[in-house]
Amino acid sequence: MHIEIADLRRRFGRVTALDGVDLTVSGGMFGLLGTNGAGKTTLMRILAGVLPATSGRVVVGGNDLSTRGGRVAVQRRLGYLPQELGLYPDLTPTEFLDYVGLLKGLDDRAARRGQVGDLLDLVGLSDVAGRKLKGFSGGMRRRVGIAQALLGDPTLLIVDEPTVGLDPEERIRFRTLLSSLAGARTVLLSTHIVEDVAQTCRQTAVLAAGRVLFTGQVTDLTARAEGVTWEIVTAGSPPTDGVVVSAIARTDGTHYRVVSPRPPSPDAIPVSPSLEEGYVALMRSATPLPVG
Amino acid sequence: MTALLAVARYEFRMQARKRSLWIAAVLLGGTLVVLQGDRGPRSLPVGTPAREVMATWALLFSILMPLAYGMLLADRLVRDRRLRVEPLLESLPVGPVARLGGKYLGGVAACGLPGLAALLVAAVTELPKRHDPALLGWALVAFAVVTLPGIAMVAGFALVCPTFLSVPLFRVLFVGYWFWGNMLAPAFLPSLTGTVLTPIGDYAATWLLGSGQTALFAGTPGLLPFLRPDPSGASAALSVAVIVLCGLIPMTAAALAAHRATRQTWPAKA
Ligand SMILES: Nc1ncnc2c1ncn2[C@@H]1O[C@H](COP(=O)(O)OP(=O)(O)O)[C@@H](O)[C@H]1O
Ligand SMILES: [Mg+2]
Repeated sequence: MHIEIADLRRRFGRVTALDGVDLTVSGGMFGLLGTNGAGKTTLMRILAGVLPATSGRVVVGGNDLSTRGGRVAVQRRLGYLPQELGLYPDLTPTEFLDYVGLLKGLDDRAARRGQVGDLLDLVGLSDVAGRKLKGFSGGMRRRVGIAQALLGDPTLLIVDEPTVGLDPEERIRFRTLLSSLAGARTVLLSTHIVEDVAQTCRQTAVLAAGRVLFTGQVTDLTARAEGVTWEIVTAGSPPTDGVVVSAIARTDGTHYRVVSPRPPSPDAIPVSPSLEEGYVALMRSATPLPVG
Repeated sequence: MTALLAVARYEFRMQARKRSLWIAAVLLGGTLVVLQGDRGPRSLPVGTPAREVMATWALLFSILMPLAYGMLLADRLVRDRRLRVEPLLESLPVGPVARLGGKYLGGVAACGLPGLAALLVAAVTELPKRHDPALLGWALVAFAVVTLPGIAMVAGFALVCPTFLSVPLFRVLFVGYWFWGNMLAPAFLPSLTGTVLTPIGDYAATWLLGSGQTALFAGTPGLLPFLRPDPSGASAALSVAVIVLCGLIPMTAAALAAHRATRQTWPAKA
């Protein structure tokens, strides 16, 4: 589903959460990167039709979200996993999904049951399908969350920071599941973890303080650090120039990777950057660090 | 329509599963059974018409049991936000009116369950003594005209008021209101007691009792005399209608507000 956003603004009192966002998303998996408070959740809530914007144009699959009709049309084809999804503790996963399915308009009882069962299988919760949600762990709740988002086979999937708080193995499983779903769908994934995007998305946008700093191919974001990423091996003090992205102590000294416009020391070797370094280079060029 | 019924079904299920609903109902209902004294239904002489017996039981249960319903329904609407289910619900293609209406119907049905159970249990325990199977039929009638309208009114306020008061504040005010507006003798202090607006079901119970008895204070002179017609079948019907409509006032206001909120639009340019 094609998403077209132009000059989108949203204020909360004095806080400007979105400050003129322009963004185009076409099919596949799209990663929305940004630190906490960048405006990712606000943008996703507007796209899910649960929050009105202050101004701007948002067109999703040909539907103008500034109208009630447009929002409902999108909601009929939407799967949404909010950042902090709560579940009714007094229901079982089967019941919760059945309820959401009913509200999504899956009126055929047998078909709905079938889908609920399949999705519980997909997210690996069949064994606990009949247990109350009350005692579920964070990861299990997140899996119920993704299962409910997939009900009704949506063409647009919006998932807001789905990997936060998961253990590493679960996180990998989760993002692999998400990218396997991207095939015919548009999946919009927000995260502040660069690695999630590196492993799953071809297209990405970086949001900071309510503005889009970058949008394009993931490889182009990586390329931002081309020529400004360095490796230094030293037993002495860490480099003071640039941003240290990693530091690994080895027998021959500490290996630092640094993003810096100039070589941080005479013996620094230029290296090919990772996405994380591209991200750091972008953030650094957008907000110059104070000198001194 | 399906969305309304879906919400009603699941709200009913969640509420009816609450152990606190049943515990509170048993405690409050049981207290009255024990404390009914010689004015209660158990002291009615053998041979009292079944209709009168069940009216007395319905009235007895409606003295305290609605307190449980008000307390327990008070968090049903606000809990979607508290549990953080709200963003998901709002992202579904279901209007807020269906969600509100479903909550209301489900909540009323769930609270009706212990109310109906209490009356049926009372009827069954009366059977060996009074040998009148009509007790069961009158239990249903008494439930429909005395118990259920009161629940409907309490539900309307208990769902909506806590969204702008707080849940604890609503609960305190509700208990105060319950005694002031239903049982405080109108001669004592100006109150709504004895008017067609009493969710305790004063007029309907008075009509069921028949033979010129007054259930509590129906029609007793007091504040707002135009709300105190002489008890009769017609005034009982009026009272039932007014009680149910009263509960729909906050629901309608909330539905209109929610409806307006979802219609919100915004300009393309600031
Ligand atoms: N409901 C709200 N009320 C007031 N401020 C809000 C609200 N939602 C978000 N904000 C503010 O908007 C900014 C962006 O928040 P958010 O969209 O949640 O960012 P992110 O999801 O990228 O962490 C933050 O400064 C946040 O405090
Ligand atoms: Mg967020």
